[in-house]
Amino acid sequence: MRKLSLFALVLVAAITVTACGTKSEDNSSPVRETFSVALDWYPNPDHAGFLVAEDEGYFEDAGLDVSLSAPSDPSLPIKLVAAGKADVAISYEPEVLLAREQGLDVVAVSSLVDQPLTSMIWLKKSKIKRVKDLKGKTISTAGISYQDAYLKTILARAGLSEDDVKQVSVGQGLLPSIVSGRAQATLGPLWNIEGVDLKLSGKNPVINPVDKLGVPSYSELVLVAKGSRLEEDPDAVRLFISALARGTAEAVSNPGKATAAVLDANTALKPKVTAAQVKATLPLLRRGGLEGKDQPFGYMDTAKWQAFINWMVKQEVLASPAHAVDALTNDFLPSAPIDAG
Amino acid sequence: MKRWLPPLLLVAALIGLWQLAADTGFLADAFGLEPFLVPSPSEIATVLWKDRSLLAENARVTLVEIVAGFFVALAAGIGVAILFHRFGFVRRAGYPLVVASQTIPVIVIAPILVVWFGYGIGPKLAVIALICFFPIAVNTLDGLRSVDPDTVRMMRSLDASRRQVFLRVEAPAALPQAFSGSRIAVAVAVIGAVFGEWAGSDEGLGHLMLQDNAQLMTARMFASVAILSAIAMTLYGLLGLLERRVIRWR
Repeated sequence: MRKLSLFALVLVAAITVTACGTKSEDNSSPVRETFSVALDWYPNPDHAGFLVAEDEGYFEDAGLDVSLSAPSDPSLPIKLVAAGKADVAISYEPEVLLAREQGLDVVAVSSLVDQPLTSMIWLKKSKIKRVKDLKGKTISTAGISYQDAYLKTILARAGLSEDDVKQVSVGQGLLPSIVSGRAQATLGPLWNIEGVDLKLSGKNPVINPVDKLGVPSYSELVLVAKGSRLEEDPDAVRLFISALARGTAEAVSNPGKATAAVLDANTALKPKVTAAQVKATLPLLRRGGLEGKDQPFGYMDTAKWQAFINWMVKQEVLASPAHAVDALTNDFLPSAPIDAG
Repeated sequence: MKRWLPPLLLVAALIGLWQLAADTGFLADAFGLEPFLVPSPSEIATVLWKDRSLLAENARVTLVEIVAGFFVALAAGIGVAILFHRFGFVRRAGYPLVVASQTIPVIVIAPILVVWFGYGIGPKLAVIALICFFPIAVNTLDGLRSVDPDTVRMMRSLDASRRQVFLRVEAPAALPQAFSGSRIAVAVAVIGAVFGEWAGSDEGLGHLMLQDNAQLMTARMFASVAILSAIAMTLYGLLGLLERRVIRWR
């Protein structure tokens, strides 16, 4: 009984404190627009900018009541946006192009990581020295068709064809496939996440991002929104990206804060590994990954997108040619370049 | 024919409603049915026809896995049931394990089985057998234990051997239950096949579904689901037919 009343007391106190908090915040910004964000996966270092912006209250400052949600299927977020169930989502450049070909009304509004993270990885113990050595070996993939096209391109550059290797799709089981030795190489892990994990656990991985093996460069992570939604209410997306740019800049200049934010959001992560992953990831998030100083945060290069589209068409991943200018817009980016510390 | 009419009508009505929901804006809004989330039946039918060779090729692979996995489970399930029935202490020791086998989330165990058995048909058989084993074993055991003890006593008093008692009394009595268990098993076997293929494969309907999901080809994904349902229903029906042929005394 005493325990119960104590609990009730704590509850009442908590509610009072929360209520006061809400009230005082309400005074500073009267009504905040709700804004839902679908992440591409459980919170991880790729999301450092989002998580720091959330922790630091940058979204509230921008007048947005942001909720972040994470799916267990990375192909779901873009569908949620197209269905109007989420305001923006994290997706991948190839996924945006495929979705548009399927008739989904989605547009990339900001680049988050403007280069490929998807990598081919093998372990030192496999005795593989270069791609050519993969002849006759088993290669695991996530079973994503455009990544199978990456593999085809990588093999072709080394003078191999698809028939020279045994390809097996293992869904989420990429790392176990090479650690167990069931597959000798894997295509699909991200070098800044799984790659770092493998390194730290002493598996001696050899990691090659796909653009180092002949696949044209593309934006691994982009922010997508629904086309019609952008026309109706352009400001919310603009405000959101500004706040995200602010959060990203803060994360880049304060890696400890970024790591803490990621670990807070996902308690299942290993702290030491996460810190190393954040360290590897922050330089990519900086300015959305772009090197040039005169571009705003999240800038997407139309020519680069077009080159990737042309490659996808050549690989028959896309059935018909598309125009990069339709698939992306830089109109919602912060006007001034954000200097990330 | 009369027996088939009600389910056919119901299925037709549901498909019609679904088509209507997909076609008319109002219903689509109400149900949140959008083609890239839930394709209409006509779209699925179109894909079924257009990609029939691709689908048939992968369905054949999955069907082989299902049937083979089912037979593994049948052998194991009936074997365990007989063992449990014959030796009480084995039953007391092993029954909790049999129940525990059902608590293993297949989607968790499948990738581990893949690492053990490789990317061939092995892990798929193991996953399917794991799912199918329980209903077969438990139903068969219940059947064996449902035999009237007086009949057994009478047989024994007439100098029947243990084997004769089993073959003439216990086995026939357990058959209907064994068939029930098998029918449940074959209906869920398709789920095991898909999980097995998701964990590691280069062909099969589950493999195709992975690809289609990543390509937002929802219609073809649903086409695979339709084929899986058809496989499960056909196998279920075949077992029913077999049951009526075998158990003539009912």
